[in-house]
Amino acid sequence: MTDDSHSTQRPRESGTSRLWWLLGRLDVSATVGKPLVTLVVVLTLVFLLVPIVATVVASFATTWTGVVPRGFFTLDNWRIVLGMKEGLGPRGGVISGLVFSAMVATGGMVLNILVGVPIAYSLTRYDFFGKDWVNTLAVLPVVPGIVLAVAFIRTYPHNSGSSLGLIVGYALLKSPFMVLTVQSSFQSMNLQQIEESARSLGASWPRTFLTVIVPNAKDGIIAGSIITWTLAAAEFNFTFIVDPTDPQPFALFLYENISRSPVLQSAAAVSVYFSIVLVVIVLLQSVGRTGFTTVER
Amino acid sequence: MADAQPTTTDGRFRRIQAVISPTTEAERRRRRILVLCLPYFVLATFGAFIPIGVMARMSLSTDNLTNEGFTLEAWRTLLNDGIYLEVAWNTLWFAAATTLFSVAIGVALSHALEKYSLPFERWIVAMLSFPIALPGIVVGFLIVVLLGRTGLLTNAVAYFTGGNPIDIATARTLGGLFLGFAFSLVPRSTMVLRGTFTEINTDAEEAARALGASPLVTFYYVTLPQVWPGIVAACVLTFRTALAIFGTVLVLPALNVATLRLSLEIGDLGFNTQIAAAIGMVYFVFFFLFTFVSLRLVDDDHVKI
Amino acid sequence: MSDVTLDSVTKRYDSEAAVEGIDLRVDDGEVLGVIGPSGCGKTTTLRTIAGFETPTAGAVRFDGEDVTNVPPERRNVGLVFQSYALFDNMSVAQNVAFGLKMQGVGADERRERAVELLELLGIEALADRSPRTLSGGQQQRVGLARALAIEPNILLLDEPMTGLDEQLKRRLRTELSELLSELDVTALYVTHDQEEAMVMCDRIAVLNDGTIEQVGSPQDIYEQPANQFVADFVGTSNVLDAVVTDGRVDLGFAAVNANGLSEADDGRLIVRPDDFVPGGSAFEAVVRDRYYLGECVRVRAELPDGQFVTVDLDGEWQDSHPGEALPLDIRTDGIHVLS
Repeated sequence: MTDDSHSTQRPRESGTSRLWWLLGRLDVSATVGKPLVTLVVVLTLVFLLVPIVATVVASFATTWTGVVPRGFFTLDNWRIVLGMKEGLGPRGGVISGLVFSAMVATGGMVLNILVGVPIAYSLTRYDFFGKDWVNTLAVLPVVPGIVLAVAFIRTYPHNSGSSLGLIVGYALLKSPFMVLTVQSSFQSMNLQQIEESARSLGASWPRTFLTVIVPNAKDGIIAGSIITWTLAAAEFNFTFIVDPTDPQPFALFLYENISRSPVLQSAAAVSVYFSIVLVVIVLLQSVGRTGFTTVER
Repeated sequence: MADAQPTTTDGRFRRIQAVISPTTEAERRRRRILVLCLPYFVLATFGAFIPIGVMARMSLSTDNLTNEGFTLEAWRTLLNDGIYLEVAWNTLWFAAATTLFSVAIGVALSHALEKYSLPFERWIVAMLSFPIALPGIVVGFLIVVLLGRTGLLTNAVAYFTGGNPIDIATARTLGGLFLGFAFSLVPRSTMVLRGTFTEINTDAEEAARALGASPLVTFYYVTLPQVWPGIVAACVLTFRTALAIFGTVLVLPALNVATLRLSLEIGDLGFNTQIAAAIGMVYFVFFFLFTFVSLRLVDDDHVKI
Repeated sequence: MSDVTLDSVTKRYDSEAAVEGIDLRVDDGEVLGVIGPSGCGKTTTLRTIAGFETPTAGAVRFDGEDVTNVPPERRNVGLVFQSYALFDNMSVAQNVAFGLKMQGVGADERRERAVELLELLGIEALADRSPRTLSGGQQQRVGLARALAIEPNILLLDEPMTGLDEQLKRRLRTELSELLSELDVTALYVTHDQEEAMVMCDRIAVLNDGTIEQVGSPQDIYEQPANQFVADFVGTSNVLDAVVTDGRVDLGFAAVNANGLSEADDGRLIVRPDDFVPGGSAFEAVVRDRYYLGECVRVRAELPDGQFVTVDLDGEWQDSHPGEALPLDIRTDGIHVLS
């Protein structure tokens, strides 16, 4: 233990230290602190979950006047959203947009694997000139989606809203999630010694990378793919500005529902996405992630 | 591994040649690093660098449909029209306020997750992370569900106080927007901070407790210095995220922030691409400088999403 | 197997030398230990032989052939790491067969040879298990089998026993030692544990600060340390100033028989704890501290001139306690004077 950490533990000789001493004597934190923090946890969970649960519940209701939605149980809202029934708001249902977004998101995901895995590897494994800069660039989005979209409109005037434009935009905006997830996976293995073992056994470097490194980081790559796919499938900020119209991406369908449809119908539309996220979190669980996060534990 | 920098063109040529056809392992390693980083830089070039360059040019264009001519008009408007200063101020203070709030809650949550044996901890973490997957428009909708005119809380309050839900609804007020931001930011800051909290040296904490320090005193003198870099990193990342929030403000337009203004310039106010590009440039430059300056202050290891 | 030579190899990082002008030769079939404190350049030396580090100057030769710029995958060296570094995406047998697969050996023959090696190491039952499910000792055996499978020019072992518990370490040490001599493997054994190196190696190179202090048999290194660093690093030693003239060693406070030690005006006598003869008549020390080590009793004793020395006691003298007088002599026939 260094001297530094000792000095942080030793109360400083000042007026405030006396206050801390007093607090220590009274020991309020032991009795008040834990319940208080627990209360924050509970309130946060309530705040985050109640509207989500209410939305899902409301999607099966016929009316929502008063405190809670009523008139269960109906699938009408879902039918309208799924395009099986005519309703107010956007026409045609969610299916075509969802399929389109899923395809574009898959394209973005593939691009992210091709781009993210190699750079994550070089950042975890090697030291090189300017590494800090490259790392910052790779793990943090360069610009917000909406700003990138403004730039895309002029740079690719005929393609910004095309599938290709969306794939490139999504890949760039979501690549940090891939890089971080894969990095986290690489960090948990003994990267250098595994690479060097394989090479000493006669595997060329590309072969080592493809047959030893990538398979060992499989879970991380899958997790990163799932995360980037999900985020791209519902990407709104970039999509809204480049405004592809035919077919209309899923996020824009959601927006039209939220801004123009009756609330119960919007609830069903949003619930479609909740179902996707739920499936995604279960899938992430199977590759060692607790929840929708890049961090492995 | 910096070898002596070659100063002559000849030396530089040899360096390039060494990358293309390396002879030593050190040279092969250099080529490897380059090859590994190349795909990302190709994407970044076409996906970000060129578009941002074009956007810079766009802000100086005399035409709003194509890049032509040269005028500083858009930049002049940005500087002289008070509305943009107001937008900038709104963006910054609101992002800062929501960041501080979200990081404070995040600290409490990470502390609880790490220290208390909460029931169903994995489920709690999974539920906490759920909002990270939600786009801003959905978050806006959820706030409406909670606090809008037909919202749960609104009507519950109206029921008990006998008030009119329309007067009580707060979703589209500043408070509602604040909660909307917090909805997105609290899970993010918590996920960043969780990593930091798991790395706390519990021996030092236990030693402090054994020496008679109360939990609060221990937290202040032993825990806080250890998690401080993580907290700073969480602030940096959360602030960046807050600056980029758009969907939530679009659904709950309670405050004229930069992202909202940007969409107005492109949409409802006409096709003011020069001004939109100028705002975009200010955004980019600020984002960039903020990130690099603030990350010099913290360890890269804390950068997580 | 082949012999491996390092020809005045220097490796600098940012002008800071990790190793400086190292000359080293590992003979065919020999196990050479490389020991030294952390940061002395042991691992850099090993990695240079493996081909992962490009020397700033100097050359690496296998059987006289310059391989300095040959990539690691074409050097045919076996690597065994402290962390085992097994491939979790493959079974134990696949791990062992990996090198053969890279050589283009057919699947059936690969499997056969992998199982043979696993049998040799007594772990054939684990062939189809995942490395993740193995204990540390088992993983280390798999790592060893994997490195031996390619019949390497040289086997490089980087602290292979660190991280294993003491008992297992001892067992594996004997096993490995027998295996290496049975297979007649040329090996470089890097460790910070000098006792391990003594047991395992034919010769030992002591590294300090990027340079070689001494190369020799374990006995040479222990009994004839080339300098004070080696004396201090290998085993416990007492260093006493001494003048050697006319068959006498003058220690200042006493004189002992030189027994053929070479003459030195300003020498330093390296005295191991077991070089003292309790009950001798040369001088009298006073016991200050006593440590019971199981096999013997070790004391810190104060000499007449106030210096402290470490002395091992046996027989009746084991009963000496702090404060008591301890008559001593020095057995000078096996010891060494530095000048």
